[in-house]
Amino acid sequence: MANVGVFICHCGVNIASKVDVKRVVDTLKVMPEVGFAHEYKFMCSSPGQELIRKAIRENKINRVVVAACSPRMHLPTFQTALATEGLNPYLVSMANIREQCSWVTDDPEKATQKAIDLVARQIKRVVHQDPLDDINVPMTKAALVIGGGIAGIQAALDIADGNRKVILVEKSPSIGGRMAQLDETFPTLDCSQCILTPKMVEAAQHPNVEIRVNSEVKKVDGYVGNFEVTVERKATYVDAQKCIGCSICQEKCPVKIVPDAFNAGLSTRAAIAIPFPQAVPAIPVIDPDYCRKLTEDKCGVCAKVCPAEAVVFDDTPKQDTINVGAIVVATGYREMDPGIYTEYGGNKFPDVVTGLQFERLVSSTGPTGGDLKRPSDGKVPKTVVFVQCVGSRDESKAHAYCSGICCMYTAKHTMLYKHHVPDGQAYVSYIDVRAPGKTYEEFVRRAIEEEDARYLRGRVAKIRRLQNGLYRVYTEDTLVGRAVHIDADMVVLASAVEPQRDAVRLAQMLGIAYDADGFYTEAHPKLKPVETASAGVFLAGACQGPKDIPASVQQGSAAASKVLSLFAKDTLIISPQIAVVDPTACTGCLTCSYVCHYTAIEEKEFGQRRVAEIISGKCQGCGACVATCKGKAITLAGFSDDEIYEEIVSCK
Amino acid sequence: MIDLKLSDPHFKWEIMKKEGGEGLLKCFGCSDCAASCPVRYFDERYNPRKIIRLTLLGMKEMVLSSPFLWFCAHCHACTERCPQGIKVAELINAIKNYAVEKGYCPEGYKMQLELLMKMGRLYEVEDFDLKKRQRLGLPPIDKTIPDVAKIIESTHILKVLKK
Repeated sequence: MANVGVFICHCGVNIASKVDVKRVVDTLKVMPEVGFAHEYKFMCSSPGQELIRKAIRENKINRVVVAACSPRMHLPTFQTALATEGLNPYLVSMANIREQCSWVTDDPEKATQKAIDLVARQIKRVVHQDPLDDINVPMTKAALVIGGGIAGIQAALDIADGNRKVILVEKSPSIGGRMAQLDETFPTLDCSQCILTPKMVEAAQHPNVEIRVNSEVKKVDGYVGNFEVTVERKATYVDAQKCIGCSICQEKCPVKIVPDAFNAGLSTRAAIAIPFPQAVPAIPVIDPDYCRKLTEDKCGVCAKVCPAEAVVFDDTPKQDTINVGAIVVATGYREMDPGIYTEYGGNKFPDVVTGLQFERLVSSTGPTGGDLKRPSDGKVPKTVVFVQCVGSRDESKAHAYCSGICCMYTAKHTMLYKHHVPDGQAYVSYIDVRAPGKTYEEFVRRAIEEEDARYLRGRVAKIRRLQNGLYRVYTEDTLVGRAVHIDADMVVLASAVEPQRDAVRLAQMLGIAYDADGFYTEAHPKLKPVETASAGVFLAGACQGPKDIPASVQQGSAAASKVLSLFAKDTLIISPQIAVVDPTACTGCLTCSYVCHYTAIEEKEFGQRRVAEIISGKCQGCGACVATCKGKAITLAGFSDDEIYEEIVSCK
Repeated sequence: MIDLKLSDPHFKWEIMKKEGGEGLLKCFGCSDCAASCPVRYFDERYNPRKIIRLTLLGMKEMVLSSPFLWFCAHCHACTERCPQGIKVAELINAIKNYAVEKGYCPEGYKMQLELLMKMGRLYEVEDFDLKKRQRLGLPPIDKTIPDVAKIIESTHILKVLKK
């Protein structure tokens, strides 16, 4: 015999200011199902939970209805309260009288009526609820990290140090990502390569890390704990097992016109090349669009000179499937193409470069060997203007968001510039300087006070190329209120941070959400910063939004800790509220398997017949199969016909 | 010195209600409008950013009585480049329309309107001009174009100015 305890929450004044909670209690306690009814200021507090536990002990109630906020907020709280008194946690039901009642109803009388109605329905429903037991499914305790930049490397190393296997998939020929392209890093000016390469090498040498470069994720199946991921390795035309990384092929290759992506297009390289000196792995890749052997069936010099016979011109892409329990997405960002800024001569004027190109121009592994020279004529630039917010904070042309890293890297650029050209003058045209990180503001002040960077508050209107090879930058110093122009040798555009081109495709594959700009959306902006809407898929780094190195590393570690705590359990506990097939009623038509979004229904033998079977680990409890089944052979645990029916018919 | 006690908090909302004034609140003061403005190369006292800023501050009297409000040449360079998508030239127009409604129309514009009403043109055609045309073998032209007055009467400008 069901004996329902009803508990009405005031939620401070959130509910009580609109709903007459006393009246709700008085009205409902006369219902025959109700054995106990009470109201309290905060049901989620310890004394609130104790009310429920006491009623279970003393009033012998065996079903509970809590009328408070959304079950998304506090259902687990009340389920635990039941479980501690030995009652099955699935015998509690919540009526949402906050979000769905008091917050959206102006008239107190109507709100009270609605609250009574909402709670009464849950009382009718909870009587028909069955005790359910959590389901345990086995899981594969290995992780996939997509993207080998600093966030991905950090996540992989932390998971590997936690004694779990990690597969690190990177689409380019080397791990390292954007950080490998940088010269020095803010706010300490330590050399980017010097702090990054030890981590790259550590990842390569770690017994628990398997690095797969030149590879991309093509398909994701399965669910948390048991993902099946198809990874494709592109044709690289070099046998990684045989190659000794001597780079003779690169020296002898006659085709030296391939735009060098590592140098942000500022130089060219050979058709077979190791991307950069510290690459991990240091194995060259042939660019099939430029290689003369692959395009015209001529040349083949690399194969002739290779001492290890590692060049294989008949290489093809290879796919294989890997099984992992968790996925960390760390695909990073790309720098916006400034071509749309015709007023700045983006992509048109050779000495108007982007922030990343400037990094390469001052880097010792860059096209100029670390001597800052402007691209057009190799002259040392004596005046450089750094233009902020190109594509950021510009909703009319590009993005409304702030790219977050440009203020800091520009301050760093002015310092690097001063170190390369001590008699040069750096100007920075900015709208606002945003330096909220630890020691960031001090860093910017150092650029201004010690390194003589001149900051002009105002956005650049246009850049004209003059006859004498200089660039006239038209701007405004709003602090003086006067128009300003500067004749510069070189201009650096702080081009916006953008998601990768194929970010949306990957998101759809993984079933994770993304925002209007294409950045991946975390499960909660404050409380679940690395989780996603898909269980077992975590985010790290700039794929979630513009981020600097410290923040990317933090997120990499945070995602790794989420993976490790998932793997710390023996098995995966999943909700028992999933579909169940009654094989005696199933006709085996399998219509359910066609509508199932999660490929969670398979065929199985049942006596002489074939019937549908739900794979409990995959089922998400959406109920599509239940609605489709003509023979009523499928029920959704926790949402049986009786429960739903009682809830509907008691609706006034 | 700006005395903010004199500011009118409703001023910005009134401008935003006018056609073209919608984007006012979006301004974050980057001054791309001013840096793009060709008028400023001749007279730096004209500064669209300052007009927008003073409007946001509610300095109604200062904005409406400023002669520089009327310097805008409507080339729309500012509108093209504003990162916040404000139609700056239209916004200046909205403030001008508001100024006229409140009786801040510069005398010169009123005189131009009178001439247009009277003759349909801003410059009077004199006998001297007609004689010159005759010498060139050109036909005489009308000294007045009455159509223009009719067109002006069909707009609200006369009513607004009378207020």
